[in-house]
This record gives sequence, C-alpha cells and structure tokens, in this order.
Amino acid sequence: MDYSEDHIALAAEYALGTLDADERAQVETMMSVDKDFTTMVRAWEYRLGSLNQMVGSVEPRPELWERIKTATGMADQQAPLVLPEALTAMPPDVPPPELPPRLGEQAAAVVDTGNVVRLQHQARRWRGVASAMAAIAAALVAVIGIQVAQPDWLPERLRPKPRTQIVEVKPPPAAALSGQFVALLQGQPGGPAFILTVDGATKNFTVRRVGATSADPGKSFELWLISDKLPKPRSLGVIGSDEFTARPVLSGFDADVVNGATYAVTVEQAGGSPDGNPHSAPVFSGKLIETVPPAR
Amino acid sequence: MLTPAELVWLIAAVAKGDEAAFERLYAATRAKLYGVVLRILRRQDLAEEVIQETYVKIWNSAGQFNPGLSSPITWMASIARNRAIDLVRKRSELSIEEEPSAMEVAADSPDPLARREMTEELKRLLECVGRLEPDRQKLVLLAYYNGWSREQLATKFDAPLNTVKTWLRRSLMEIRECLGL
Repeated sequence: MDYSEDHIALAAEYALGTLDADERAQVETMMSVDKDFTTMVRAWEYRLGSLNQMVGSVEPRPELWERIKTATGMADQQAPLVLPEALTAMPPDVPPPELPPRLGEQAAAVVDTGNVVRLQHQARRWRGVASAMAAIAAALVAVIGIQVAQPDWLPERLRPKPRTQIVEVKPPPAAALSGQFVALLQGQPGGPAFILTVDGATKNFTVRRVGATSADPGKSFELWLISDKLPKPRSLGVIGSDEFTARPVLSGFDADVVNGATYAVTVEQAGGSPDGNPHSAPVFSGKLIETVPPAR
Repeated sequence: MLTPAELVWLIAAVAKGDEAAFERLYAATRAKLYGVVLRILRRQDLAEEVIQETYVKIWNSAGQFNPGLSSPITWMASIARNRAIDLVRKRSELSIEEEPSAMEVAADSPDPLARREMTEELKRLLECVGRLEPDRQKLVLLAYYNGWSREQLATKFDAPLNTVKTWLRRSLMEIRECLGL
C-alpha cells in the first residue's frame, strides 16, 4: 500500500467519524473500487474500534428483536417470546418450523417423527427463555450490586423490591455528572502510567495500571483528588498492587468537584499516607476527560 | 459477553443461515452495539432503526466477515457506527438538544468488569492517545464516542474549522506513528 498522507488521513478520519456526508460518500466510492484502500479503512476501524470496549452497554427494547426477525424474514415461524409462563403452553396450531438440525436433533433421533416438531419447538423456546433469563439476571446483578454497595444511589422506587422492578432499571436522576470519564495519569516523560475511569452515574472509579509501573519496595502509590473547591488534597486510597483498583469513594464528592479535579498519584510509605496528607510531589497526574456526555 | 472465538464461530454459523446462532449473536452483542449508536444518535427511535439495519446487514453479509482483519465485535460495531454517523451527517438538521427525552434510556449501567477486560489493543491505543496534548486527547475521544463532526468539535473547542481539521489530522498521524503503523 502506497498512499499519500492525504489518503491515509481520509481513511483515518472516516473511521474516526469526523468526515462530512460528501467526504464519507467519497470514501465509500473509493472503497468500492480500491481494495487496498478498503483494507486501510478497515484497519483504522479495527484500531480505533477497541475504544468501544469502554462504552457502556444499553439494553434495547425487546420488541427490537421482533422487528429484526421480521426484517430478515425469520419471524413467521415462531410465536413471539413472552415470559416464562409460555413455557408450559404449547400452541397447538403453529405450523411445523423448518429448523436446521440442532439441539433437538439428538432427542428427535430417538423418538418417532410425530414428536420431532414438538421437541424442536421446546428446544427453541427454551433457548429464547434462556436468553431472556440471562438478560434479567444481568439486570439483577447490576441492581443488586448497587443495592448492596450503596442503596442510596438508587432511585427511591428501586430500593425496596428489586424483583418487581427489573424493567425499571434506569439511571439515577440525571445529576450534573452522569457520563463516563477517563483520566490518563501521566508522569515525565511519556505515556500514561494509570488510567482512571469514573462512571458518572455511580461515581465508581477504577484505576488501571498501564505498563510496568510499580512503586519501589516499601512504598505505595496513593491516589489524590485535588480541587480548588477543597482546602487540601483528599486521599482516594492506595492503589493496590493488582492491575485494577476499584472503589466507590468518590460518592462523597460533588459532581463538579469530581469533574473538575486533578487526580494525582504520590509515593507514600507502604500502606499509604499516615496523616491524610501527601508526602511527595505528584509523580503522575491528569484530569478527567468526558468520553460520554451526561444525560440532558 | 462471549469470547471473540465464540463470536467468530457464531458469525460463521450465521453465514450459513443458522437462525439460532443469529439469535445468540444478537443476544450477546445487542447491548454493546445499542450503547455505541445511542451515544451518537441520542434518540431511541433512530438508534433502534440503525440497530435493526445493522443486524439485517450482519445476517446478510456474515460471510464477508474476515477474522484476519478485525475482531467480531469491532466488525459489528463498525457497521453500526458507520450507519449511525451516516445518519447524523445526512440529517444535519437533526437537533439533539431538542429531544430532552433522548437520553433517558441511555443508562450507562456500571460495568467495571468491562474495564478489566481491556484488550492489549485498547491498552496500546490509550497509551498512544495519552501521548497527545490533553486537548487533542479530548478531541479524538469526543469525536469517536459522540460521533461529532468537525463543525461540532470546532464549536466545542471554540476553534476555527480549519484548525480542528489540522488537529484531527495531526492527532491521527501521531497515533499512527505511535502504534508503529
């Protein structure tokens, strides 16, 4: 591949998403006639695509799957999935589905053909129920996790009876800080040593080690929040020796403090500062970058 | 979330018309893809439309997925993201701010485990993004996550359009160099 920097930049900006409609159309035309250029665009998409790992998942409404099945021509063979009570009800007049041999196969092999359809149906229904149950379980884990850790974060109606309100899982009322934030804590010179991620809705933060950064023997890295709204730096705790350290301690701070603060790492005695004050200059620091805007 | 290898296997099955595999693929990936496009489109109706088109395209062109060129989730997310960006660029009159209800559904459920699962590719990319000046880091991340155009970025950064264009280009070239490409 021997492309000019203009072409490389065009491919990269297409993948980044900043081109206007005309330029996007131009890139798509180029891709349709130039395989190597397509490869270059796809490579940029792949490269930047890892950023999507940091994007929070959002469950779409269940009816979207029905629409997709209709649009792909799959919908005509199956009664819509309802919730578990459908398990016992076998619709008597559903036409035999033309299913590829699958889960029902082994079972079907040992029964007479009159039962094949029924078994395949059941297998299919069970699969549908299983994925619905998995989604419910995931939602429950999230709700219960918050309830255990910090029930106050949940909207009033989510507190007492999580089981009946699974479908109500919504963000806490939009606060000033409810996006996703990342800070790259960097030293002199070079790239970041720690990546701090803050979930605006819960104010949970996670510190991730990057590269081979480690404190000297007998010392610990301690994370501080420095804000002009606070009289002195506040410790957010010692950064553990594991690759990840996750804590909810930011919940005690106002959103604008969390958002505007500088996050700094100092070297302290093993186990952290004994008196709540930092004892070294920051070796790494950075500010939060909003990667996901707050709800408006 | 299934492993990349499991997703590759599912996509291969979908390419052969396996409907159950398609359903599993949808179940495993829908929330991630929906999260990605909802962030860009900010409207449930548009995001659903894009997700529907995306999965129809995946159903129809699963055979084109090349595991040597991309990861399954990145391939799928790129289809979704490109459609979302095409939509917002073509509908420039689309005003996000006019839709106060738009983000009601966009709950970012706390998902610390996802961060534990950062791939090597992401770590490398973030290291390279981290070498840009702070404003450029923000520029690149806002562009990617929000699908913002240069105009929107120029407004946000209070800079002339051509300056933003130069910043974007330089930033991308620096990332390219940093990644050793």
